[in-house]
Amino acid sequence: MPGSREARIEALRGRIAAIEAGTRTPTPVLPFGDPRVDSHLPGGGLPRAGWHEVVGEGLEGESGAATAAFAALLARPRAEKGAVVWVLRRSDLYAPGLVNLGFPVERLVMVRVRDEAEGLSVLEDALATPGVSVAIGEVEAPDLVAGRRLQLACERAGGFGVVLHRRPYGGPAKGATGSAAFSRWRVGPARGRAPPDGLGLGPPAWRVALERCRGGRPGAWILEHSEADHGPHPFRVVSELADHDLAPAPPERLRRAG
Amino acid sequence: MALGLSAGQKAADALALVPQLVTADHDPDADRRALGSLCDWCVRFSPAVAVDGEDGLLLDITGTDHLWGGEDAMLADLLERLARWGVPARGAIADTAGAAWALARYGEPRFGSGRAVVPPGGQREALARLPVAALRLDEAAQAQLPRLGLHRVGQLYALPRAQMAKRFGLAFTQRLDQALGAAGEALAFRRPASPWFARLAFFEPVSAPEDLARVAADVLALICKRLEGEGRGAKRFEVVYHRLDGKAFAVPVGLARPGRDAVRLAKLVAPKLDVVDPGFGIDVITVHAFAVEALAQGQARIDAELDAAEALAPLVDRLVNRLGEGRVWRPDPVESHVPERAVGRSAPLAAPAAARPWSPDLPRPTRLLKRPEPIEVMAKLPDDPPLRFTWRGRHHRVQAAEGPERIGQEWWRGDFDAAGPGRIRDYYRVEDEAGGRFWIYRQGLYGDGDPPKWWLHGLFG
Repeated sequence: MPGSREARIEALRGRIAAIEAGTRTPTPVLPFGDPRVDSHLPGGGLPRAGWHEVVGEGLEGESGAATAAFAALLARPRAEKGAVVWVLRRSDLYAPGLVNLGFPVERLVMVRVRDEAEGLSVLEDALATPGVSVAIGEVEAPDLVAGRRLQLACERAGGFGVVLHRRPYGGPAKGATGSAAFSRWRVGPARGRAPPDGLGLGPPAWRVALERCRGGRPGAWILEHSEADHGPHPFRVVSELADHDLAPAPPERLRRAG
Repeated sequence: MALGLSAGQKAADALALVPQLVTADHDPDADRRALGSLCDWCVRFSPAVAVDGEDGLLLDITGTDHLWGGEDAMLADLLERLARWGVPARGAIADTAGAAWALARYGEPRFGSGRAVVPPGGQREALARLPVAALRLDEAAQAQLPRLGLHRVGQLYALPRAQMAKRFGLAFTQRLDQALGAAGEALAFRRPASPWFARLAFFEPVSAPEDLARVAADVLALICKRLEGEGRGAKRFEVVYHRLDGKAFAVPVGLARPGRDAVRLAKLVAPKLDVVDPGFGIDVITVHAFAVEALAQGQARIDAELDAAEALAPLVDRLVNRLGEGRVWRPDPVESHVPERAVGRSAPLAAPAAARPWSPDLPRPTRLLKRPEPIEVMAKLPDDPPLRFTWRGRHHRVQAAEGPERIGQEWWRGDFDAAGPGRIRDYYRVEDEAGGRFWIYRQGLYGDGDPPKWWLHGLFG
C-alpha cells in the first residue's frame, strides 16, 4: 500500500517535529525568499534564535572576507532589530565595507579578544543579552560544549549568532568537528556577473554550500547580493549547484559549474 | 644625626665619623614611588593628600580629626604607625600648610616626640623662633636674609612689606603670608577630594576571597545609597582595599553610562579581585565615585520595552571591565578620504559622531589590511590595472577590474613632502579567476623619479 506508507511517514515526521519542538510554539523563521533555498531548510527558513557556522573555503579560511560579507548579509534582517556585536581576533574588519552591503554599522559594537576561549565567552555573553539581536564571532573551531552553551544563550534571549571559522594566517586548518550549530555553511567567492553596461564589476557573488542543517537537507547554490523585494534576505539565487543529498559534489565540479 | 651626620655630607667625611656606616646609592625614582604609595596610604586619615616636594606629604585634615579623638591623637597615631614600619617621620598640624611645613621641618621638638600641634590662630607665635629657611623661600633670598642679620622668622614680622617685596621679590611676601594665613595656598592633591567617598573599617581584618567580594558589595551599597538619595549616578568607581601593613590595592570599575546599581557594580568588581593580595588581612575598604552626574530617578526594572542602549549598557560594562578600555568600540565615520583614516573608534554608547556617514556607493573592502602589502604585478600598459599579480606567493589572474579611484594624501596633515605626487594612490577593484575580489593600488606616477609600486590594501567579500 504505497499511499498508506507515505501517510505513515508523514505522520511519523509530524510526531518527530512535535517531540523536537517540545511544548514550544513553532519558531519563527527567516526565509530566503527563494524556494530553491528555502526547501532545504526546515520550516522554510532559518530560525530567528539560534546560531550558525560559516566556514571559509580555501584561502577564505584565513582572510575571512567572503565569509564576513556572507555572514553580514545573512544576519542583516535581524541586525536591523537591535544591537550587533562582532567579536574579532584581528581588528581588520572595515566598517565602510559593511556599509556597501547595507549593514547597519551605527548599531555595531566591535570587541577584540585575546584568545579563542575569551572569544567564545564574549560571544555567549552577547547572545544572552536582550538588547543584542545579532552576535558574530570569529573563532577557530568551537567544540561541542561551547556550541551547546551558545545555543542555550540564543534560546534564552532570542539572539541570532554566527560563528565565522577563521584560522590565523599560515596556521594549520583545524578539521571541522561535530558541533551544536543549527546549520553549517561553506562559503567561497564566485565570479560575479558583469553589469549590464559591461563596465567594472557586478554585485558580489558567493558559492555557498549548506553542509549540514538540523532537520534540513544539504544543498549548494551560487548566491548574489541584491537588494531584492522578495523575502527579507538580501540574496538572489543565481543557480543551484549539485544536489548534496545524492552525492557530495567534488570541488572541481563546483568550480566548472560556477 | 646624634652621630654628627647630616644630609648633603660627603660620603668620605661621614665614613670618617662613623666607620661602620652602610651607604646606599640615592635612587630618586624609588623615593618618589615610595612617597606615592605612602600618599595613597594616608588616604585613611584624610581624603585630600598632596605630595610635597621630595620628602613630604601634606594632608588636609579639616573635619576628620575628631575620628581619632583630636588632632594630637591623630598625629600621634600617624607617626606611630610610620615608626612601626621603620619610616622615620616628623609631623605638625597647623592652620596653614606653610606653618605645618615649617614646624615639621624646623620645629622645636625636632628630635623629641617628633610632632607639633599649633592651636588655631597660633602660627604667628609658633613660627617666630624658627629660622628663615622654614618659610620655603628661594635660594637667593634664603642666603641673603642672614647676611642682613635676619635669622628668625619673627624678625620679619615688623619689617615694611613693600621694601621687602622690592628686594626679595613678591614670592617672599607671599610665602610669609601663606605661612601666617594671610594668603591662600592651592595644594595639588594627588587624589582630588571628592565628596563621593565611602569607607568601611573592620574590627577583625578580612582576607577570604568571598569576604573581599562581600565587603566590596557593602561599601558600594553605602555610596550608591547616597548617590540615589541625591539623584545622581557615577561612571567610575574605585574600590580600594587597605591592607594591615599599609599597602593599598585599587580595583577600578567603569560604567558606560552613569549608574548607581550596587549589585551590578559588585558583580563587576568580583572578577577583578585577584589583584588584591590580602596578606595578613584587609582592615579598611574605601570607595570613590568619579564622574558623578545627575541621574533621573528611573524605574528600576521593567523587562518589557527596554531602551536599546539601556539594555546594551550592562553588556558593554562587563566587556570593558573584563577586556580593557581599548578592546570594545563602535566604528565611527571620520571625514577623510584616506581609507585607513576613515574609521574612528568611539565608546559603544557614546552619542553618534557628527561626521558624515560613509557613502554606500564608494566600493570599500570588507577586510582592510592594517599595512598594505606589496604585490608583484604585470600590466599591459602603465596606466592599466594589472593583468596578473602575486600576493603572498600566490598568483592571481585578473579577470575584471574597476577603477581607478584616485586618493591623494592629506597635505594639511604635516609635512608637504609626504603628500607630494609620489604619494598619490590609484585604487583598483579587481576580480581574479576564482571570484576573489581585491583592492589594490598603485602608488606614485610614472616618469617621476621612482617607478610606482603596487600594493594590496584590502579584500572584498
